[in-house]
Amino acid sequence: MSSTMPMQEYISPGHMACPGCGAVLAMRYILNVLGEKTVVVIPASCWSVIDGVFPYSAVRVPLFHTAFETAASVASGIKAGLDIQGDTETTVLAFAGDGATFDIGFQALSGAAERNEDFIYVCYDNEAYMNTGVQRSSATPYGAWTTTTPVRHPKDRPKKRILEIMAAHEIPYAATASIAYPDDLSAKVKKAKGIYGTKFLHIFSPCPTGWKSKSSQIIKIARLAVHTKVFPLYEVENGFTFHINMEPKNIPVREYLKLQGRFAHLSEEDIADIQRQVDEEWEHLLKRALY
Amino acid sequence: MIKVMIGNHAVSYGVMLSRVQVIPAYPITPQTSIVEELSEFCADGHLNARFIKVESEHSAMACCIGASAAGARTFTATSSQGLALMHEMLHWATGARLPIVMANVNRALGPPWNIWNDQTDSLSQRDTGWLQFYCESNQEVLDTVIQSFKISEEVLLPTMLVLDAFFLSHTAEAVDVPDAQDVDRYLPRYQARYRLDVDNPHSFGNLATPEYYQGFRNKIQDDMIRARTVAKKADEDFESIFHRSYGFTEAYQCEGADLILVTSGTVVSTSRIVIDELRKEGRKVGLLKIRMFRPFPFDDVIGALKDAKKVAVLDRAISFGHSGIFAQEIMSAMYNQPSKPLIYSYITGLGGLDVTPRIITDIINDACERDIPPQESIWIGGKS
Amino acid sequence: MGKQITFDKKEDLPLVTSSFESMAWNKTGDWRYLKPIFQDKTPPCNNSCPAGEDVQGYLYLAQKKKYKEAWNLIKEENPLPAVCGRACMHPCEDSCNRGEFDEPINISAIERFLADNAIKQGYILPPIKRKKKKEKIAIIGSGPAGLSCAYQLKRIGYQVTIFEALPALGGMLRIGIPDYRLPKDILEHEIDTILELGIQIQTKARIDKETIAKDMKDFHAIFIATGCHKSIRLGIAGGDSRSVISGLDFLKDIHFGKKVPLGKKVAVIGGGNTAIDTARLALRLGAKPFILYRRTPAEMPAIKSEVIQAENEGIEISYLTAPTRIISKGNRVTALECVKNRTGPPDSSGNKTLIEIKDSHFPIEVDNIISAIGEIPDISILPEEVDLENRLIVTDESLKTTMNGVFAGGDVKSPLRSIAHAIGSGKRAAIAIDRYLKAKTLEDVMDTIRIGDGPGLSMRSYLQRDDPSRRKTKQVVRYKDINIDYFEQKPRHAVKTLSIEERVSSKKEVHLGFPCETALQEAGRCFNCGVCNHCDNCYIFCSDLAVIKHKGKTRNTIDYDHCKGCGVCIEECPRDAMYMEREEK
Repeated sequence: MSSTMPMQEYISPGHMACPGCGAVLAMRYILNVLGEKTVVVIPASCWSVIDGVFPYSAVRVPLFHTAFETAASVASGIKAGLDIQGDTETTVLAFAGDGATFDIGFQALSGAAERNEDFIYVCYDNEAYMNTGVQRSSATPYGAWTTTTPVRHPKDRPKKRILEIMAAHEIPYAATASIAYPDDLSAKVKKAKGIYGTKFLHIFSPCPTGWKSKSSQIIKIARLAVHTKVFPLYEVENGFTFHINMEPKNIPVREYLKLQGRFAHLSEEDIADIQRQVDEEWEHLLKRALY
Repeated sequence: MIKVMIGNHAVSYGVMLSRVQVIPAYPITPQTSIVEELSEFCADGHLNARFIKVESEHSAMACCIGASAAGARTFTATSSQGLALMHEMLHWATGARLPIVMANVNRALGPPWNIWNDQTDSLSQRDTGWLQFYCESNQEVLDTVIQSFKISEEVLLPTMLVLDAFFLSHTAEAVDVPDAQDVDRYLPRYQARYRLDVDNPHSFGNLATPEYYQGFRNKIQDDMIRARTVAKKADEDFESIFHRSYGFTEAYQCEGADLILVTSGTVVSTSRIVIDELRKEGRKVGLLKIRMFRPFPFDDVIGALKDAKKVAVLDRAISFGHSGIFAQEIMSAMYNQPSKPLIYSYITGLGGLDVTPRIITDIINDACERDIPPQESIWIGGKS
Repeated sequence: MGKQITFDKKEDLPLVTSSFESMAWNKTGDWRYLKPIFQDKTPPCNNSCPAGEDVQGYLYLAQKKKYKEAWNLIKEENPLPAVCGRACMHPCEDSCNRGEFDEPINISAIERFLADNAIKQGYILPPIKRKKKKEKIAIIGSGPAGLSCAYQLKRIGYQVTIFEALPALGGMLRIGIPDYRLPKDILEHEIDTILELGIQIQTKARIDKETIAKDMKDFHAIFIATGCHKSIRLGIAGGDSRSVISGLDFLKDIHFGKKVPLGKKVAVIGGGNTAIDTARLALRLGAKPFILYRRTPAEMPAIKSEVIQAENEGIEISYLTAPTRIISKGNRVTALECVKNRTGPPDSSGNKTLIEIKDSHFPIEVDNIISAIGEIPDISILPEEVDLENRLIVTDESLKTTMNGVFAGGDVKSPLRSIAHAIGSGKRAAIAIDRYLKAKTLEDVMDTIRIGDGPGLSMRSYLQRDDPSRRKTKQVVRYKDINIDYFEQKPRHAVKTLSIEERVSSKKEVHLGFPCETALQEAGRCFNCGVCNHCDNCYIFCSDLAVIKHKGKTRNTIDYDHCKGCGVCIEECPRDAMYMEREEK
């Protein structure tokens, strides 16, 4: 990584994100690749606030705020609207949180993906409903504390395997990416931009507020997520072709968990259990990648 | 060109002639033949539009919102449960000031399952900020589609035109299909005043502080009120080209009437015959058709009803715990008038119950016989 | 930036909530309670270089293929990079943080590459534009300390004369380091670049207390750097035998072309560089030398890599072995009696005490004995006013002796005897003399010119030729401060060496040096500890868009109006070139 990033930025300072917000970086990296010919759709999410108050916007491309479950459907409409008016160049970017993607907006997303609507759908995943105050979503990992999964009864189901679900729609491109690896992320956005159809990017986007972690450590946590295999970087083309983009360093999950207060209650057995789950999922992914 | 067509196809033709650009739609009985026909038009190239087969009505409206925000002329159609599912996005379309036009085929809401005519679905959306037109004939349906775009695009508010399930949607009538060039003259290409434009980037719908929020809401109301003037002009312009006009309301045999029946949709046609019969018997009865429900045509309604002694409102919907919805609206319109009629609320025709001349006659007779309207609505027909 | 807009009336509002101005008006800097600050710190290599080289600085320039600028940077601090690239014990590599990650950077080989490249390309360090000064300074001794001092004083503008007892300049560099380690043409080239500045020299000018008193009255200051040229005698029975050669004399004699008759079996006694060099030189003269050292390998003061090379060449080293008696037949040495030692607990100096193993005496047949157990200064030449302690000249921090106007440095003053220490002390003396002649103290500038908490001083800082805004703090960056996630393990590039056969049959240089490509790759391994190298992580990972990039080489700055103080930039700086400061609100 070096100064390859362009000087042109599409987000203005003064936005309303918490200090150390991963979601801002995700948007920033993406817009820096997509450039000015981009229309962004943002459903209810932290970004509804981050973008700022009327008559201001922290984003320097056209942007449409919409209801929680409608990112994919509004994006479909915008693309069709632009297309019929002769603008086939502009990229439509749906930028939604995990709640809007995994949960409430999943139906619209699945529908759009099945129709192979021509847009890039980004899920910036901070693993809970952060904007409403850290309630669990189906993206919340096993064992995590949230305000609706208190430490006496933390989340007892694994995180939904959204990328595989999206890949199963046989869309041309689905990939995970991390704010800790902007080069990989940018390359994926660039690749997505060049493909017709529905492109799904699942971006690991730490939230120091909701994860009870240090704001300074979001990149470190994101990096550890990759190297503990908690969040492997991989891509799936046309539903079947899996590529792992980065070989994890195989760091124990403990190193990842210990930086986050939301996992502070976990016992040794819990951690061992999570390690086992992570290992199993990784084996599962490896099998698919080798297939 | 005169064509015999069902009401749903009249919608489809109106949409085609309006040169709609994006049509997201999800099927629901009895709306289906609207979108089926449109998909044919698109497939055949009669209509150069993107037809998006969304996975739900909620997405249909969301998709309309996206397309309209991008500056495209946008249409969808639905019914009943579908409209109810859209509810959230109906508000969004209004707040975003998007001139989307939608046809709603009035159908009952479940449970129990019932696919027949009932106005509860559209009247439940009364406060979403959509203009609402209730149509009586297939011709009116086609013409109202075209007029709706004209009005919506001027006031930047969405319009819902409403037609009765089966009585219109699946009933064939002779319809004078306007000439496409004439429609183009009446309704030129849509030029959005606000749109998602990469050359002039704006962000739409950001958080607004209470002061601004109330200001924006006030502006919606301002434009709703302005929509009366705009709709009047649109109707007049329409008449000058196509020699047909509809007004906001239609007063039938109301001069000197002691009792005026107020209703909407296809019941109006049946009522006309009943009124004619009763007039022949020398009874002083009249009929007021409400076509435009939002914005509410206060002046027309007051003008038509102020001299009557009694008004009987026939509602094909009920606001549970209160009364018929049209009845409430009429009562509130008349309340501050120095001379006002007694207003009776009748509920009938729910779930597709056939509103026969007999039922209409019973309503008129009942209203004539009662000196004072009861507090609760009077249910007529069926098992009520 | 960041226009603020208000709509007074409903009529002024647009119909739609369309936003068209940026959020930059919103000064989110108010949220901050910790403030990130760009601040370079001292890299450990710089900190440990006694010569005061900006090691990281030239490695960085080398990474950018700016070989000339890299060489200039060394040359400003040290006039002898080609010498140091070969013969320095490179403490920089011992302290290199990369050593804890994989292996230290091969700094000496890169230094040598840069210096050899400069010779090949004929680079000349651009002179400093300074007024010629009238003050004259005498430098006694032309070893690394004397040369360094003369060089720096001359650059500042003083009139400098070097007095050298031997026929040629270089001191221990010339006589103490054999050609296979430091070819004479290289040494001479670098000495020439110093003399070319316009330094007067007097060779074969042996100075003593009388000449200092009489002949040096004209000089405004004197720097004594006469080194340690007297060998310690072997204090054992028969140790004064004529057939016991001093290691230093042996090296000197060979250098000046004298024939030294050697037998086959040559015992070299000692564990310093002289011992190793002596043995290896004897090997090249056809002998079969071996080394006896009374302590353990860990305590051996010689440069480790040189010890390894000696062993590779087949020279056997017997540790914990001390000679006790020389057995002679007439004038000829025939054997050396030795005893085996074992180690006891460490003494007050930290060295392990040695305990003779009873009845372990044994004889070794020898033809020659070379004693290289250490050198001491020749104090007989010094004036009485110059105080001594442990046979070394006493000075203060500024290298002032007890005699007014007389300074001393290098081996004659310090027990830390290395080329780099000597070069550093020459530079320190030059600065101290400049201060002295301006009637100012060295102490006043020490804070500015001292590199970290280490021994070296920066001439660039002294002459204010560096960017004051980029001066490093004294804090030395340690391995724990490095964000190793940004580095991949890569093995150190080793320098190629001559084959053993070629070595023993010639006096050719053993180390072959780096080709350009290898030097570039090796420099690329550098962490750049504590010094911003424009990796831009701070910019890339700033979610507040509050790190501002500037055109060209200008360092990034922070927009404190908007920085919320999350600290990501600090955490993700791979090299600890930033810090956080608590902010009072």
